Amino acid sequence: MDKFLATVPFTILFLPLFGAIVIAFVGPRVHRAGAAIIGNLSIFGAFVLTAMLAYTVWQMPATQQAFTVKYPPAWAAHPAFWAHIPPLTISFELRIDPLALVWMLIVTGVGFLIHLYSVGYMAESRWYRTFFAYMNVFVFAMLMLVMAGNFLWLLVGWGGVGLASYLLIGFDSNRIAAVAAARKALIMNVIGDVGIMLAIFIMFAHFGSLSYKVVFANITSASTNTLDWIGIWLLLGAVAKSAQLPLHTWLPDAMEGPTPVSALIHAATMVTAGVYLVARAHPIYDHAPAAAMAVAVVGCASAVFAATVGMAQYDIKRVLAYSTMSQIGYMVLAVGVGAYAAGTFHFVTHAFFKALLFMAAGIIIHNLGGEQDIRKMGGLARRMPLAFWTFLVGTLAIAGIFPFAGFFSKDAILDQLLALHHPILWAFATATALLTAYYMFRLLFMTFFTGEYRGDYEPHTASARTMVVPTVILAGLATVGGFLVLPGRDEISHALQGAFTDRGTLPTIGEINWLVSGVTTLAALAGIAGAYWLYERAPELRARLRNAFAPVHRLLANAYYVDAIYHWIFEVPVLTFASDVAKYIDPEGVGGFSAGLARATSGIGEAMRGWETGYLRRYGLTMVIGMVLVLAYYLFVVHAGTSIGMR
Amino acid sequence: MIPTNDYLAAAAALFVIGVIGFLMRRNPITMLMAIELMWNAGNLVFAAFARNFVDMSGQIFVFIVITVAAAEAAIALAIVVMVFRRRREVDVDDVSMLRG
Repeated sequence: MDKFLATVPFTILFLPLFGAIVIAFVGPRVHRAGAAIIGNLSIFGAFVLTAMLAYTVWQMPATQQAFTVKYPPAWAAHPAFWAHIPPLTISFELRIDPLALVWMLIVTGVGFLIHLYSVGYMAESRWYRTFFAYMNVFVFAMLMLVMAGNFLWLLVGWGGVGLASYLLIGFDSNRIAAVAAARKALIMNVIGDVGIMLAIFIMFAHFGSLSYKVVFANITSASTNTLDWIGIWLLLGAVAKSAQLPLHTWLPDAMEGPTPVSALIHAATMVTAGVYLVARAHPIYDHAPAAAMAVAVVGCASAVFAATVGMAQYDIKRVLAYSTMSQIGYMVLAVGVGAYAAGTFHFVTHAFFKALLFMAAGIIIHNLGGEQDIRKMGGLARRMPLAFWTFLVGTLAIAGIFPFAGFFSKDAILDQLLALHHPILWAFATATALLTAYYMFRLLFMTFFTGEYRGDYEPHTASARTMVVPTVILAGLATVGGFLVLPGRDEISHALQGAFTDRGTLPTIGEINWLVSGVTTLAALAGIAGAYWLYERAPELRARLRNAFAPVHRLLANAYYVDAIYHWIFEVPVLTFASDVAKYIDPEGVGGFSAGLARATSGIGEAMRGWETGYLRRYGLTMVIGMVLVLAYYLFVVHAGTSIGMR
Repeated sequence: MIPTNDYLAAAAALFVIGVIGFLMRRNPITMLMAIELMWNAGNLVFAAFARNFVDMSGQIFVFIVITVAAAEAAIALAIVVMVFRRRREVDVDDVSMLRG
């Protein structure tokens, strides 16, 4: 392998970490802007290198596009440096293939734009440098996740992004809500980490290795039952990280973090790690039909669930959070039924338009002094035209209107669902498309129209250039991103082919299917029309409907009370138990034991101090008596009756 | 040739004299001399058995014992001197401040 391919992956991986270390340790010495410059440059450098690497890899024939690099080559196999528990040796290996490259490009590319955006957005923060250090750590962990060459290093990245997410959600550590949300996200993600660990244990037991190469090459040696279990445990990890049912409740709360964090971690990259995991482990799911079906059903249920909840939320970022959950549901559904190219395609376009939506929302929130409630917005289209037009592009894209990016990717998924004979899942997914268009345009109308501005805060209208430029770039990408896949020119499947050589030639996506496109577009238009009618033309009808269906509205506004259910099932018993332990077992049991130990020790000491008379001759007598006894024991018991030769 | 048992009897007598001296006297210097007697009773036994078994180990051990005894005597005398400086008398029954 040539030197470029062997070294560049490590440079890409460690550049963001290096940036974070520089910011962290040189931080107090560099100017405030230094942190931003180092952060941005390191991510941009990683992006340029990734682009070069991707260009090189995609020049090669498809069968050679997947390769493993170990570092440092001489050490990689040496047991002294890496885990060596015979027969298992885990070296530091990275796997570069088209699937990883797509994720790397988005993580570094969109990551760079969001870094740039943060320069303006976080300008007033006291912890400016810390923020960029955390963001760099996140990019590093995410790259570790997608570049890992075995499941253990994947888990390292998996835990790393969870940690970065925790740090950044609770970034504003003065607010109780932010800290609670961070803790919630961490706990739910750790449940997923445990799932992946269980999958790793089963894989180790059956394959004796955790390397992708070995596991996937020997996949047929394991029974379907085993693979189903591996698939289910991996799915648990994916569900927690990607905020799918039933471990989704942390994502809406995670919106407590700063908006660039929501854009990068909780929209574009980290939450799609579950999709990546299923696509990465596709040989397992290809041989485990039950687990794959579970993936698809979870994705579809999450898509529908989140879309219905999104209709009744009033916090602009919460609506976007539920829409993220819903769109990731589409991706999970796609990879679950085996439409890997379509799922990846939707990941790419979603990264564009969802990051765009968050950035536009961030501009609004920034200009409204932190206001997130859309009931206190309205009429902002004229006051913030840039935010409006970019938000409109994002909304059209997510609603799936031609020719914006979401139209092509969502269509590809729906088309594949029918092509792979899943009509029921297709019906639910199409219904979700209608709901998506409805709640996104409801959000758009309530924010930018519905009469005049309803808030008290006098909005700014100017925005920092570092915030405007990335938003506009992403608006452009969200507009043209869909053209990656056109009828007769399917770049995504072609590009991904190298990562899926074991499945033969990937089916082409993006062929014109008038039925699917027509139904989807009609559904989206119906959703938009519904939102327009209820929010612009007939508000009194909306109020009547809400009163007529008050219980339903309450149910949706409270997200099906899942949080409350979890509170009563998990939190209350555990907290009650913990407080009882603190009240009774701790003082009486643990405290009693240690107090008793102390009493016993001092009692024994008290009894024995009488032996210390201080009279030297009494000690001497004691020694002599002991000596005589020992001697007598040896003479009359141990060696009784024996004799030695005496002269 | 003197039988080994005679040496052992002499050593036992020396040792018992040492023990009695150590337990009966209250002057630390005298007690140290009694301890010396016990050391040398042991030495005599080592030497006697070395001859009995024609094995030099016993004699070598005697040298080690003599060295250790010298070191012990030096430390003990230093302690006696220090006690004397502080209290102007060295009766061991009076020096019992370290009782529990």
